[in-house]
Amino acid sequence: MSRLLRDLVLTSLASLLTALPACASTPAQRGLIVFQQVCAACHGMDHVDYGDMAAFGLSPDAIRTWAADQQIPNGTDDNGAPKTRAATPADPILSPYPNDAVGRLANHGLLPPDLSRLAMTLHGGPAQIQRILLSYAPTPAGVKLDDGRYYNTALKWKHIGMPPPLQDGMLTYPDGTKATTTQMATDVSAFLNDVAHPHAAERRRIGVYVLTYLALMAILTFLLQRRIWKSRP
Amino acid sequence: MPIPEKTPGWLERRLPVMSVLRREYIAFPMPRNLNALWSFGAFLIVTMAAMIASGLFLAINYTPDITQAFASVEAIDRQIPSGWFLRSLHMGGVTMLFACLYIHIARSLWYGSYKAPRELLWLTGLGLMLMVMVTAFAGYVLPWGQMSYWGATVVLNAVHTIPLIGKPVSELLLGGETLGNTALHRLFVLHFTMAFAILAVIALHVAALHVVKPNNPSGIDPVSPKQTLPFHPYYTSRDGFALCLFLMVYAGLVFFLPDLLTLADNYVQANPLVTPRDIRPEWYFAPFYAILRAVPSRLGGLLLAVGSLAVLFALPSLDRSPTRPATRRPLVRLSLPLAFVSFILLGIAGMHPPTETWLIVSRVAMAWWFIHFLVVMPLVSEREITS
Amino acid sequence: MTQSETPPPPGGTKRRDLLTTATVTLGCAGACALAVPFLNSLKNSAATTLSDRTLEVDLSSLAPGQDMTVQWQDWPIFIQRRTPQMLAALQTPGHIATLRDADSKMLQQPKDATNWHRSVRADYGVLVGICTHLGCVPSFEKPGSAPEAEGGYFCPCHGSHFDAAGRVAQRAPAPYNLPVPPVTFLSDTKIRIGHSAGDPGFSMSDIQQI
Repeated sequence: MSRLLRDLVLTSLASLLTALPACASTPAQRGLIVFQQVCAACHGMDHVDYGDMAAFGLSPDAIRTWAADQQIPNGTDDNGAPKTRAATPADPILSPYPNDAVGRLANHGLLPPDLSRLAMTLHGGPAQIQRILLSYAPTPAGVKLDDGRYYNTALKWKHIGMPPPLQDGMLTYPDGTKATTTQMATDVSAFLNDVAHPHAAERRRIGVYVLTYLALMAILTFLLQRRIWKSRP
Repeated sequence: MPIPEKTPGWLERRLPVMSVLRREYIAFPMPRNLNALWSFGAFLIVTMAAMIASGLFLAINYTPDITQAFASVEAIDRQIPSGWFLRSLHMGGVTMLFACLYIHIARSLWYGSYKAPRELLWLTGLGLMLMVMVTAFAGYVLPWGQMSYWGATVVLNAVHTIPLIGKPVSELLLGGETLGNTALHRLFVLHFTMAFAILAVIALHVAALHVVKPNNPSGIDPVSPKQTLPFHPYYTSRDGFALCLFLMVYAGLVFFLPDLLTLADNYVQANPLVTPRDIRPEWYFAPFYAILRAVPSRLGGLLLAVGSLAVLFALPSLDRSPTRPATRRPLVRLSLPLAFVSFILLGIAGMHPPTETWLIVSRVAMAWWFIHFLVVMPLVSEREITS
Repeated sequence: MTQSETPPPPGGTKRRDLLTTATVTLGCAGACALAVPFLNSLKNSAATTLSDRTLEVDLSSLAPGQDMTVQWQDWPIFIQRRTPQMLAALQTPGHIATLRDADSKMLQQPKDATNWHRSVRADYGVLVGICTHLGCVPSFEKPGSAPEAEGGYFCPCHGSHFDAAGRVAQRAPAPYNLPVPPVTFLSDTKIRIGHSAGDPGFSMSDIQQI
C-alpha cells in the first residue's frame, strides 16, 4: 500500500515542475527540489511554512503555486465531515497523511518522521542523513527482515522502514546538474541541514557586523580608558 | 574644578535623584587597585538586562500550553521577525549569566570579599544565585522539548523526596499528578515572576555594596581619599572597555555558535512515553548533577548537592581569619584553587556518562570541595601565619 | 575627587574630547541599533492574503423575513431575505430623511450595491455586521419589533441604528453605513461572498471604514 500511495503522490508531484526555482544552484536549493518531488511524498515539516522556503531562492509566485497545490485541514462542514482548503504561503508544510494513524498504516506501522529539525536531532546530523540515503544494499543471504523493512548499512540494526527513495535520474534539476543518487543525497541533506538551522546565513552575516562594531568600540574604549587612567592623580 | 554651592533646584528639593546619582555613581570612591575580575558584576547587570528585555519579547510570542508551547518556540525561531535573535540572546544569556556568576563568586572567595563587614553582600549574592538557578530551571521547561520534560521530571521528583517540605513544594509546582499543562503554566509564571524578583534583590545587593564599599585585591580597605578614585570616569571607562570584550564573547555565542551549548534533543517535542537515551543537564547545573550521581543514595545525593551550596552560605562563620585575600594566606592559596578545580571537574563529570572513572573523579572532587570548606577553612583560620 | 580634574597636559584635552564624543556617539548608535530587532519582532509576521478567500453560501433555507449570519474573513456577515413590506419601508421619504447617507455616497459597498437597497438583488441584503462607530456587532431587529424602520440593526454598545439596508440613522453616533461585501449570485439561492461579478476590481481594503 505504501508503494501505491507513494507512486500516486509522486506522479502528482511531477506536475509541480512549474513551482520550482528557475535557476537552482546551491546544494540546498537543489535539495529543496528533491524534498518537493521525493521526500514530501511521505514526510512533512510541521514547523516550517511554505513562505520560509524563500530562504532557498523560491520566488513568492513559485511558493504560492506550490502551496496552492497542497490541501490542508480547514475545520468541518455542516455535516461535521472534515474540510480542506488550498494552502497559502503562511501555512505549514504538513505531512501528506491526515493524521499519525494513517501515516503508520501506510508505512508498515512506522510513522515517517517530521523533517523540521531532523538534521539537528538525528545522531550524526546531515552527514548521517546522506549516509542513510546512500547505504541501501540488497539484503544479504541469511538475513531475514520484517515486511516493510529495508537493508541499510548506515544504521546500527542494518535496516530501516523507509524504502530506497532515490534513483538515478528520477528528477531533472533546472540548472542542469545531473540528478544522480549521490548528488541528490548530498543536496537534500544540505537542504535539511539549512531547514534545521533557520536563518543561519543571516545570523552569520549580522554577526560579522556586530563583532566589527564591538571590536571598534573596544578599541575606542581602550584608548579612552588608557588616557583617563594615565592622568589619574 | 570645585562644584559651586548652588541652591538646590526644584527637583532636588523634592526628590534628590541627581545628587544621589552623583554621590553613588560619579564621585563614589573606589579602591585604586581593582583588577579585571571586578568587572564581572557589571557584566552580570548587563546580561540580566539583556535577559529581561529578550524574555519580555519572547513571552509576547510564547504560548504556555503543552499542545502549543513547542510550536510557538519553533515559530519564534523561524517565522517571527528577528525572533531567532531574541531567542539566541536569551539562550546565550543563560550561559553568560552563569559563567559570570561563578567567576564573580570565585573572585569573592579568592579575595575574601565575604568577610566582615561584607557578610550581607555575600549572602544577598548567594541568594541571587539560588534565584537565578530556580529561574533557569523553570525557563528550561518552557520550550517543552524532550530535555525540558525529562529534566523537569527528574528535578521535581528529586524535590519530592526532600523530607517534610519536598512533597508540598513539588505538588505546588506540578499542580497535578504528573508534569502537564498546569505545571507548564505554573513554571511559566514562576519564571516570569522570578526575573523581576531577581531585579529587586540585585537592588539590595548593590545597595549593600554602596554601604560597605568594594573589597580590593590587597584586602585592606582604603582609609584616606588619596587611596581612592572616583567611579566616573575611571571605572566607568574601564568597565566600558571590559564590557566591549565581554559582549564580543556573548555575540560570538549568539551569532556563530548558537548550538554550542544547546542539547539537540530539546528540538524534539516532549514525549512522556520515551526518555532520551543521552540525558544530560545544561552545563551550569552539571556540578550538582555529578554530586547527585556520585552518591549511592537518593536522599544522600540530594543532601550533598544542596550541602555543596550550603557551605558557601556558612562560609562567613567557617572562615574566622581576619585576613581577606588568599594571596596572603599560604594554605588557602593551595587549598582554594583545588576547590575551584574540584568544581570544574564535577562539571565535566556531570556532562559525561557515569562510567567508573567519572564516578571516582566526582567523588574525589566532591570530597575536596567539602574538606576545603568544612575542615581546611576553620582549621587554617585558627593557626595560620599570614604574610 | 576634585583633584582628578587637575589640568590635563595641553593638547590632550582636545583628543580626549574627540575620543569621548566618538565613543559615546558610537555607543548610543549601537544601543539604538539593538532596539531594531526588538521592535521588528512586534511586526505582524502573518501577512496573510485574506482577500482572495471566498465563501459560498446556500440561501435555499432562508424564508422571506428571515436572516442568518455567516463568518467571512473573521467578520460576521448578515444575510437577510427581505419582504415586500421591508423594501417598501426602505423607500418611504419620511424614513430616508432620517438617514445620514441615504444614497450611499461613501464608498462602503461595491458599485453593484450602490443603490437604494444596497445589495445586488433587492430581495436579499448582505452586510458586514460591524458597527462603523467603534466595532461592536449590531443585532437585527425583526420587522415586527421595529415598526418605524421595518426591521433594522441596533448596536448594543452606543445605540447606533441602521435600517434594513444598513444605512445609518442621523440620531446615532456611527458615521457611515454598514459595509457591503462583494457578492456574486451563482444561482437564485446560492451566493459567493468575496468576489463581485458587477464590480470585479472591488476590494474590502478600498472602503471608507469597516
